[in-house]
Amino acid sequence: MPISSIGSLRDYYAEESAKIQSEFTATSNGRKAIAERAALVDNIIVELCREHLVADGSRVDKLCLVALGGYGRRALYPHSDVDLLFLSDQAAHARYRGVTRAISLPLWDLRLKLSPLNRTLADCDKLHGDNPEFNISLLDSRFLAGDAQLFAQLHDDVLPRLIHRERHGLLSNLAELNGKRHEREGNTIFHLEPNLKNSPGGLRDYHVAYWVARITHLRHFLTAEPDSIWPPKLREEISQAFDFLAAARCFLHYRQGRDDNVLTYELQAEAAAAGIGVKHLQNIAPADWMRLYFRHARTIYGLSTQLLDEAQPPTSWLRGWYKDWRTRRSQSNYTIANGRLSLRDPAVLRDGGQLLNLFVFLAGNGLQLSRETENQIGEILQRPAVPIPNLWGRFRQLLVSPRAADALRAMHSVGVLVSIFPEFAAIDSLVIRDFYHQYTVDAHSFRAIENIHRLRQSKAEWEQPFARTFSELEQPELLFFSLLFHDVGKGMSLEDHPQGSLQAVENVFPRLGLRQEEADTIRFLIANHLEMSANLMRRDIFDPATVRAFAEKVGSPERLKLLCLFTYADIRAVNPDALTPWKAESLWQLYVSTANYMGRSLDEERFHAQSTDMQFVDRIMPLLRPPVTEAQLSTFLEGLPRRYVLAHTPEEIATHFRMSRQLNDNPVQSQIEIRGHLYVLTLLAIDRPFLFAGISGTLAAWGMNIWKAEAFANAAGIVVDTFYFTDGYKTLELNPPEADRLQKNIQEVLSGALSLETLMRGRSGSHSRRPPKVGVPTEIRFDDSSSSHSTLMEIITQDRAGLLYHLSAAVANTGCNIEVALIDTEGQRAVDAFYLTIGGAKLGPGVQEALRHALLSEEQA
Amino acid sequence: MTRIEAIIQPSRFESVKKALQEMGVQGMTVCEVRGHGRQKGHTETYRGREYEVDLLPKIKLEMILPYNLVDGAVQTILRTAKTGKIGDGKIFLSQVDEAIRIRDEERGEGAL
Repeated sequence: MPISSIGSLRDYYAEESAKIQSEFTATSNGRKAIAERAALVDNIIVELCREHLVADGSRVDKLCLVALGGYGRRALYPHSDVDLLFLSDQAAHARYRGVTRAISLPLWDLRLKLSPLNRTLADCDKLHGDNPEFNISLLDSRFLAGDAQLFAQLHDDVLPRLIHRERHGLLSNLAELNGKRHEREGNTIFHLEPNLKNSPGGLRDYHVAYWVARITHLRHFLTAEPDSIWPPKLREEISQAFDFLAAARCFLHYRQGRDDNVLTYELQAEAAAAGIGVKHLQNIAPADWMRLYFRHARTIYGLSTQLLDEAQPPTSWLRGWYKDWRTRRSQSNYTIANGRLSLRDPAVLRDGGQLLNLFVFLAGNGLQLSRETENQIGEILQRPAVPIPNLWGRFRQLLVSPRAADALRAMHSVGVLVSIFPEFAAIDSLVIRDFYHQYTVDAHSFRAIENIHRLRQSKAEWEQPFARTFSELEQPELLFFSLLFHDVGKGMSLEDHPQGSLQAVENVFPRLGLRQEEADTIRFLIANHLEMSANLMRRDIFDPATVRAFAEKVGSPERLKLLCLFTYADIRAVNPDALTPWKAESLWQLYVSTANYMGRSLDEERFHAQSTDMQFVDRIMPLLRPPVTEAQLSTFLEGLPRRYVLAHTPEEIATHFRMSRQLNDNPVQSQIEIRGHLYVLTLLAIDRPFLFAGISGTLAAWGMNIWKAEAFANAAGIVVDTFYFTDGYKTLELNPPEADRLQKNIQEVLSGALSLETLMRGRSGSHSRRPPKVGVPTEIRFDDSSSSHSTLMEIITQDRAGLLYHLSAAVANTGCNIEVALIDTEGQRAVDAFYLTIGGAKLGPGVQEALRHALLSEEQA
Repeated sequence: MTRIEAIIQPSRFESVKKALQEMGVQGMTVCEVRGHGRQKGHTETYRGREYEVDLLPKIKLEMILPYNLVDGAVQTILRTAKTGKIGDGKIFLSQVDEAIRIRDEERGEGAL
């Protein structure tokens, strides 16, 4: 290519550039286009060197031209900068000043964005704290023209020595630059309009991985083939990701006519229509094209962060040793380095239970997988899947662990999540292409789970009500599981995505072995997960009719808590600004109104066979053996609060009905079962004074800590009491037959055969009163307006052993009857509501005052 | 040109927006706001904690329209935002002197 004038040089450059562009348009092969463009610029620079250097042979000595950065890597995008180093040794430095200008001018005339740099060998031999980019760009240095020996000195001597000597400094500079860039880009790969170069998961991350590999393994520095530095098992995946990103970036440069790397919404559609980066240039939907982008970005992001983490020196030898020692104490199968976990014996992964335990461990300890472990898991997943024993027990433990979202991301990234739950594949990297949803559907689900766990550390005042509500949940794992699967239906061809998600969980349930009521709660949350948002936006939440209808739909306070938190987490996971304080306040307002409605309408909203929707009765009837008539069942239900019907499953109500039929044989019917971490005592009896106090007193005497309780009565005076308690002394856990003796004690106390005082005296020594951790002042409030025939007493006080017994005994001693009771505990606060009557009527001011006095005296006793 | 500011119930927002779009209103600015007029708030107690609900959630719509669309837009908002209860909101109209599109510096109604 003889250059006779700048005109012919320009023609040559334009002609060759057009050829490269034309070939790219026909093939979408970005990798080839950037290599050819680098070769084209090489030709021009070599020719210019021939003209300006070779004319005077002596001038070639001690000067060489070196390609740096992307140009050095032979990856020159259509409008990228050309980084060119004029390298000389110290003695010849001044002599060559004119050469830089002579070669740069024609390149600028070609409108190349040339960045020439004059440096000596000595400059290249030191770490530049103020310009770390220069050190890093040298890693890509490639000889172009001039003194080849000088370049060999740089590449084979100076740089390897620098890398060896300043390895930690280089890596730490790289990590800092990378961290700042990720921070500028919001630390997420999920952008509606990602920057193909700088966003996490973009080409810069690919380069970072490449540089780390070259710094940590000198042999990689000395071999020039980029792809050979990747682990063989990941090579194809990384290569495909790079090809896609390279094609997309070339497309953007050609389309925009400048170095613009933002993949705008409109250009996503154009790239998808042109099949950029897609096999056979197939025209696909923009959402599907973006799905491909996110999958590749995930690969690159995972690779770069992992290589960078693994390359960082431990912050302290002692701390590293301590963490490893601590880990070995708790889990002898794993070793930890720089927050990444490796296996001592990969063979343990053949056991599906051990494989899942690994992620449970990550979730509990905030760790990530080492690359080696990821590869080992990848190999295991090639084999046929084996059932995992106690799947729900293990998965439940993962979900409630503080770093569950990260562990789920790791599971998904290596394919374990889809291997256990193939249903989840439907939303893998699925894009909802609008200006509202920032994350792919799978990432949204993980983020929703993370939003709930983050409530534990939240200091924001507006989040405190949600944080408190989270701490009160009986089974948070049901919330997390529902969040994980709530949008799976979006990956199915159904109009109503919750229906699809329900289908998916129905497939999953048999593998998990959930209890009926657990599965029902998950079904409820998924089916109704848009209900609260819909009420917020489409209904007047200050209208009592809205609150009432919503409360009816939700049914129980526990489900209300779950749905409120679900809505909070779901909206917040759509994009970082989706849950405005305005929405959060409105959400909490609807929660409070509904919770208060549920609590304060208890006594008014009762079951009446004549006027109530009997649909739910139809669900109970088939469960009754031997069969009974609808009238018999209705007689039992008559007068019970609607809350009772809403809060219990048809199976539970059927059990209560059967127990009520046996009251003639034994006037106190009871049963104890375990639900999650709580024991549940259900007791049916004919209403009588001191009934509630007798039960709570006996439980207290046995050292049981009552968390929640409900007391309802029907029109015939049959009381259905449910007590939820923990067994702090493990009496029932260690001696299961003791449950029978506890029930016997309750029956004896209620029949008068056993004195509660005697029982409590016998036990008091072993259950001494502990000082409270947080002081809760006692508040007592009477409300005559919530019920037409009873007085609502709400009491909030310090929770303590035997509290419920003392409260209910004080109520009974004042001559009051408990019509309905709702007992709850919120950390150290007991939050109790009693609907009380005296002589079948509301409590007068005198009785209210006497009761207040009795309760406060008891507290001070 | 006239600026229309409408403070409406959040529950009516979707209907109002749809109706305005159907009658030819091409752009609007929407804010989530809190406030009160004669419809004062109240205090809600939940589990012994008091929650002041003195500023109620509303949606504020703002649009600048050429004169020929103003009456239609006002009628549309009245028709779709009204529930007949206290708290339905207000509409404010004011004169706008000039509109300038930043991208191409076009002025007047053409810039709307």
